[in-house]
Parts: sequence; C-alpha cells; structure tokens
Amino acid sequence: MSPVVVTVADLTKRYGDVTALDGVSFSLGENRIYGLLGRNGAGKTTLMQILTAQQFATSGEVAVFGQHPYENESVLSRISFIKESQTYPSNLRVHHVLRAASLVHPRWNEELAQQLVDDFRLPPRRNVRKLSRGMLSALGIIVGLASRAPLTFFDEPYLGLDAVARQIFYDRLLADFTEHPRTIVLSTHLIDEVSDLIEHVLLIDKGRLLLDVEAEALRGQVLTVAGPVAAVDEFARTGAELHRALLGGTARATVRGDFGPADHDRARALGLDLEASSLQDIVVRLTTATNGSAPSTPGVTRKEVLR
Amino acid sequence: MNRALTVARLQSVAWPSVVGWSWGILASSFLINLAIFATIRDADLEPTTGGLASIYIVMFIACINVITQDFPFAIGLGMSRRSFYLGSVIHFGAQAIGYAGVLYLLSVLEEATGGWGVGLRFFGLPFFLVENPVLRYLAFAIPFLLLGFIGFAIALVFKRWGVNGMLTLGTVALVLFGGAAVLATWQRWWAAIGDWFADQSGGALLVGWPALLTLPLAVASWLIIRRATP
Amino acid sequence: MEDGRPIFLQIAELLENSILDGTLAEEGQVPSTNELAAFHRINPATAAKGVNKLVDDGTLYKKRGIGMFVSAGARAKLRGRRRDEFARQYVQPLLAEARKLGIDPAELKHMIDTWEETR
Repeated sequence: MSPVVVTVADLTKRYGDVTALDGVSFSLGENRIYGLLGRNGAGKTTLMQILTAQQFATSGEVAVFGQHPYENESVLSRISFIKESQTYPSNLRVHHVLRAASLVHPRWNEELAQQLVDDFRLPPRRNVRKLSRGMLSALGIIVGLASRAPLTFFDEPYLGLDAVARQIFYDRLLADFTEHPRTIVLSTHLIDEVSDLIEHVLLIDKGRLLLDVEAEALRGQVLTVAGPVAAVDEFARTGAELHRALLGGTARATVRGDFGPADHDRARALGLDLEASSLQDIVVRLTTATNGSAPSTPGVTRKEVLR
Repeated sequence: MNRALTVARLQSVAWPSVVGWSWGILASSFLINLAIFATIRDADLEPTTGGLASIYIVMFIACINVITQDFPFAIGLGMSRRSFYLGSVIHFGAQAIGYAGVLYLLSVLEEATGGWGVGLRFFGLPFFLVENPVLRYLAFAIPFLLLGFIGFAIALVFKRWGVNGMLTLGTVALVLFGGAAVLATWQRWWAAIGDWFADQSGGALLVGWPALLTLPLAVASWLIIRRATP
Repeated sequence: MEDGRPIFLQIAELLENSILDGTLAEEGQVPSTNELAAFHRINPATAAKGVNKLVDDGTLYKKRGIGMFVSAGARAKLRGRRRDEFARQYVQPLLAEARKLGIDPAELKHMIDTWEETR
C-alpha cells in the first residue's frame, strides 16, 4: 500500500450516553480517493472532526501525517475539511471567503478557484448570508478543491446542488485529482453517484466500521439471486446471506461471498436469475442487515416474508 | 506566530465593515450631539455626552462575534486554537491601539477648538483631567482591552459549555455580586466603598484597575479556548 | 460503468473490444490511464488496474516515457480466447433457456439455421 497518511486505532467518541464512534480502527494511504459511507448519524462527521482536531476523542489514537493533529500547525496546514455545516462570519462576501482560504492553504490555486466560481456560477460579491443552500455547498467545494491540500475531506458537500452542479463537482474533482494526486475522503450517502470515483470504501454504521475494503473487491462480492427456494438455498450456502424475500415458492436472496464467473455459471445452472448489486445496494444491505444488538460483522440474515 | 498573523489577516479580509461599524456609529453619535449642542448653545455646565461609549460597545460586540463567528470559520479552515487566539488578540489589540490614538487626537482637537466651537465635550473623558499624555492615551486604550477580553471570555463560556455554561456563569456572578452587596449593606460598608472610589485617581479607575482585570480574563480565555469546539 | 462487476475488468474488456474490432490497431497507442479515467468518469487507479491486466497477459506493452501500445499479434490471440469464452457466455444460457421452454437441441439448431436465412 502507498505511504500511510492517517492512522486511527480503537477510536471511541461519546457524547454523554450517546456513542458516536465505537472502537474504530483503519488507515488511509497517500493519493487515493476514499468513500466514507454510512447513513446520517452513523458517525462520519464526528470521525472527520476528530481527525482535524475540531473534536476530542474519548479514547483511542489518531495520527495524521504521523502526528497528532491537535494544535499541530504542520499537520493542520496540510488538511482541508469541507463540512456541510460550515458557517461563515456574517459580514463576509464570497470573494472574502475565497481570499481567507487562500491565506490559510499554502497550496491554494487561485486560477482553479476562479474557474470553479465560473463553473458553479457563484456571484463573487454576494454576502454569504444571502447564498442559497446550493451556493453555500458550491463555495465549500471550491475551497476544498482549490486548496489542493494533501488531505482533503468532503463531508456531504453537495446539499442543495442540482444534478448538473454535482456532475461538475465530480468531473472537476477527478480532473484535478489526476493532475495533482492527493488523499481525498468523500463522505456521502449518495453512493451511486460517487461509486466509480472511489478506490476504497469505509462503511460506518452506528459508530462502528462495517467495511474497510477496496471498492473493486466489493463489486461482484455481493450477488442477488432469484428463483425456486430450494435452488436459492443451495446457492446461498456458499456465502453469507444478507437479505431474503419470499413470494410463494420463489425466493430472492442477497448473498455476500468471494464470487467469480464460475459462481455466476453455477447460479445459472441452478436455474437462478442473477441481479448485479451496485455499491449502493451493498451498503443498504449491510447497514440494514445489522439491526439492534446484532453483531457488527456483516452476514446476519434478516428475513422478510411477502404475502 | 506566522499562522497567528494569518488569523489576524483572515479577520481583516472584510476590513471596511470592521472599521466602518465602530467609527460609523461613533460618527453618527457625534454628529447628532453636535447638532443638538449647536441649536441649544446655552448649555449650563460643560456636559459630557456619553456618546463616546458607543465605540467601546461596538468593540465589545465585535469581540463576542470573534468567538461566535470567526472561531468556527478559522478552525474550519484548519487553524490551531493557539494561532486563532493569538491572532485574534493581535487583530483586536492593534485596533485598540490605533483607535485609542485617534480618540486621543480627537480629544486634543476638541479642547483646542473649545468643544468644536459649541462647547461640546464628546471625546473628553468624564472625571478625568490628568494632563499626563501617556496616562491619557492609556485611558482610551485600556478600557478597549478590558471590554474586549470580557467579550472573549463570556462568548467562550457559551461556546464551550453552551446555555448551561452561561446560566452557571450568570448564577455565580449573581451570587457573588448580590452576596457582596448584601454583605456591604449589612456591615454598613457602602460609605467606605464610596470613599474608596472617590479616592481613586482617574488614572487608577480607567487604566490601573482595568489593566489588572484584563490579565486574568486573558488567561481564562486562553484556558477555555484550548478545549473549545467550533 | 455497469454494476456488479469490477470496473477494471470492464475497462480491460472495452480495450479488448477496441482491439478486436480494429479501433485500436496493433502497434498503435492506447489512451492513457488519465484519459480513460476522465472519459469513463472513474478512479484513475481503477483505470490503471484495467490497463495493467492487459499488460500482464501480453495484450499491451509499455514504452517507457511514451505510453501503452497494442502488442503485435494481440488481435488474433484475443479472438482465440474470446471464442473459448463464447460458449460459456452465450451458448450455455441459450441452452438453459431452451430447456426451460422445452426446445430440444435439434429444434434449436433448426431455429438457428432458419434465423440466419431470414435475416
């Protein structure tokens, strides 16, 4: 793996009785795009706030560029954290915010910033209080991309953006990443839109890390098969069943396993229909499969019967 | 230190609005007073207007805004709390030094023109007639610092401990001052307290004591901001 | 990109298809990883993985500092490999569906012949 940029070991964060993060451990490599996936309230924002020293961990260790980020200028100046809830001083205009960001980020690229202002059609002289939700998101995206920080976090950066603007974001992100590789963490629940951009998936649910896996390895790992119950049973035996729906004598099961072309053939030979699972399907299945006090390891079966 | 200067510059990106509020309000207060005095003219004793307080109040509010608005913004951009605090003190301190200088010059001008030709005493300080120019300058500057750090400290208590922190702070302050007042009434100390204030020179009231109070507030603000979250 | 299959495999297949239909000539240059990433809107590392798969099996070769090129003889080799896969990919599901509908192999052959004639 490429050089490690972030290390997190057994990280726990509690707010009173609420456990936002529960023993999370992982590491991030240099110059890769990570997808930090999970439902709202899963703990994604808290995790990024601790990595950027905006919040304090209850227990556990974090290291960013090999050091603890708290009050650490050499670490903090290499991070750009764009969060959905970012507020701005009410007397600032758009161009003030960009000027402020350019003062803070040593690798700021003004040309790129101006290009993006045009792309997103942001009015530079408008006061931040008078920006729509989408314009605020665009402003955050511009700061995040133009800062060219070696470690960039985007936390749900697209709220209020229309489909065109979101596509602009993804395209510009990819183009600039290609020319200026850096470590990017995309925290999102719009998984389908970013799934092709992500190299590595971190899935968090209820403060726990459910997945820490290459996106490519995940694709094809999860199959949904449909057909006679007996045949579905037969196929499901070769993997961990995540979900099953029944309709009369027909079943549809989502199964996770180390599947290859031979397994596809086997399913077809059993007379089963195969459905591809998108990254989004996989995440939905994994985060609904672990309910209540169920163990955090994926593979717990949830049965539902349709009549 | 570099990053602290960055914070100071960050807070100055929209400097016209920073300077504009303080001096705009002071100027309008001054002009209104000037107009009133020009029409009345026959003011009995050399009266003090109190309009000068407006710029101190604006700066106090500005310091609260530094914590409630600039702090989340600067931390969000990746500044450390240390740099933010230092930078904010530099930014605010520089304003206090500069503004006090201007106020000093205006007070000299006011005296020289006989109260702007209409006997208006706007920039001259109340009950403070020290001719020592250094003390006089400090009497303009130090109250800025005291009010600024009171603003920092109160806003930081809110930032770090929220509404509960403010309620606790309010309760503690009420108990302390209320208790002291009850004690003073019970022990018949009020006359002594009055004498004490009367005995203090203008320099002590506007420079010495405020400077002494500013210091612990600055230390307290620093300790609170170390663990504050945006 | 289509769901449910690793993207790098799909990239490798797309390049193979271009070689098979002659869009990419032997000894011709292949689009760069970054071009592929931008065009298909995928992660550059994934595009690189797809290209590298074809380098590993000899379909493509690397010219240092210039880029990737199609190997001589790659087209014939690919065609051979695809013919082997053809049965698995197309004939097997065809027979499975035919069996479900009660079409026996003889009838199936007849259908193929008449389909080809009427086309």
